Amino acid sequence: MNPLELTLGIMTAVGGFVDISELVFAAKAGSTFGYALISVFFIGTIGIIVFSEMSGRVAAAAKQPVFNLMRHRLGLKLGLVTLAASIVANLITCAAEVGGVALILNYLTGAPYLLMAILMVAVMIASIWILPFEWIERTYGLLGLFMLIFAVALVAIHPPWDKIAGGFMPQVPHGLSTKELLTFGYFTVAILSAVLFPYEVYFYSSGGIEEGWAPKDMLKNRITAIVGMGLGSTLAIAILANSAQLFGPVNVDPEIPGTAALQAAIPFGRWGLMIALLGMFFAVAGAAVETCMANAYSIAQFFGWMWGRHKKPWEAPRFTLTWIALFILALLIVLTGVDVMMLVEFAILFSILVLPFTYLPLLLLAGDRKYMREYVNGPLAKTLGWLYFVIITAAAVAALPLYLLTSGGNG
Amino acid sequence: MARKLLPLLLLLIAGCSHASGPEADLQYVKQARSLGAEWALVNEQASQGHLTATYVGSMHQWLRDNLQTTSRSLTQPDSRYGQEVRALLAEPDDASPEEIRSHSDRLKQIEDSLESA
Repeated sequence: MNPLELTLGIMTAVGGFVDISELVFAAKAGSTFGYALISVFFIGTIGIIVFSEMSGRVAAAAKQPVFNLMRHRLGLKLGLVTLAASIVANLITCAAEVGGVALILNYLTGAPYLLMAILMVAVMIASIWILPFEWIERTYGLLGLFMLIFAVALVAIHPPWDKIAGGFMPQVPHGLSTKELLTFGYFTVAILSAVLFPYEVYFYSSGGIEEGWAPKDMLKNRITAIVGMGLGSTLAIAILANSAQLFGPVNVDPEIPGTAALQAAIPFGRWGLMIALLGMFFAVAGAAVETCMANAYSIAQFFGWMWGRHKKPWEAPRFTLTWIALFILALLIVLTGVDVMMLVEFAILFSILVLPFTYLPLLLLAGDRKYMREYVNGPLAKTLGWLYFVIITAAAVAALPLYLLTSGGNG
Repeated sequence: MARKLLPLLLLLIAGCSHASGPEADLQYVKQARSLGAEWALVNEQASQGHLTATYVGSMHQWLRDNLQTTSRSLTQPDSRYGQEVRALLAEPDDASPEEIRSHSDRLKQIEDSLESA
């Protein structure tokens, strides 16, 4: 195991962890409910670590992508349902990320939002076309490390660390009205959805195959998933805690994504603002690339097409056309003028509804000795995997009623 | 099971989509209160030289756009909160943070009274 490669992998996972939905919901959760929802980020992070490690293990052991195995394991009909559901969820998520990155460019440059959306989609298509896979991942992930400014800002504002530590314990704040309890429930479901977005696992496992993972890479997979995603999640928790400390007391429940950048501007001034905006820009752009690629991977793998960025674009023409078409579709959604915050809410809602469908096949595959041989799920992975499957199924069932009853978390 | 749940879900959707009056407007009052508070915070930080002019200009544009959308969404635009949102919108972009915050604070009082009603 090359230590430099491992470090880069971990840093990439850290920088690439936060996306527009986590940014929005972490900031809103902190200002609305203080530190109480830190535990949901913590629980969700363990879940994404479990499923990412599992998907990386499937890629390394079976050397086949999840969607290819899924079709064989589940059959064409059920496989198609899962594929369609994940395509819709990922496409809306991709549109939210494209809108988010255009918004952030607007804050940075003042240039028109829709023009920035068109420009950024062109830049992202060019970057995927030109860069080899590992540099696509590393460029956005490593530059996303500017997001560390949110953790540094948290230290600088001297928060009540005892209350932050207390937030890691699952809890419901005292004295909430029925409406506020429902809103708390909606935030719980939304944060779980944002942390466990299915595209992350598809991109991660397909990336493992792009990089030629084999059984010798099992340790690398495990360390990258646990350390990278664990540290990445601390950034989201830092945003939540900053929000609880800086926004809650002045009645700010961030309604526009740009407000989050104030968390770094308050302690550090202009340079803090610029670093925060740059971090948000690269993190959200990286998420846009990942959602688009994850969708293209899923489609190509399901239908058995040639796929991967380890091939020249013209060597996998259907795959190439698919990711370009998906980016253009996401752009068209943004160009309709739909509000980014609304796209984020729809992305969260659709993703949580399809989460059980997307993670069940992975659980079945990773537990199947025929495919996995000695790398089949052990007792810990099996227990945690099924426990999280129950949690996300409960969240999926509760999501739509909670969304409607709370007007999307607005009370 | 699904056949029993579906009509309930449709009723829930119908109930949510046809609501009107102060209860239905509460979500917009909350949004307007937060948008006002965000605007005040931006102006406060800008006055201390913590922000770039480009960021401040963009934030003002988005905050105002969102406030206008919120104002248009109110089912009772002539209510006390409707007037307060309009008063907030009438403020210039570079109004003092105290002035903007006073509108946000009044919206917060209305929000609290609506929630306890």
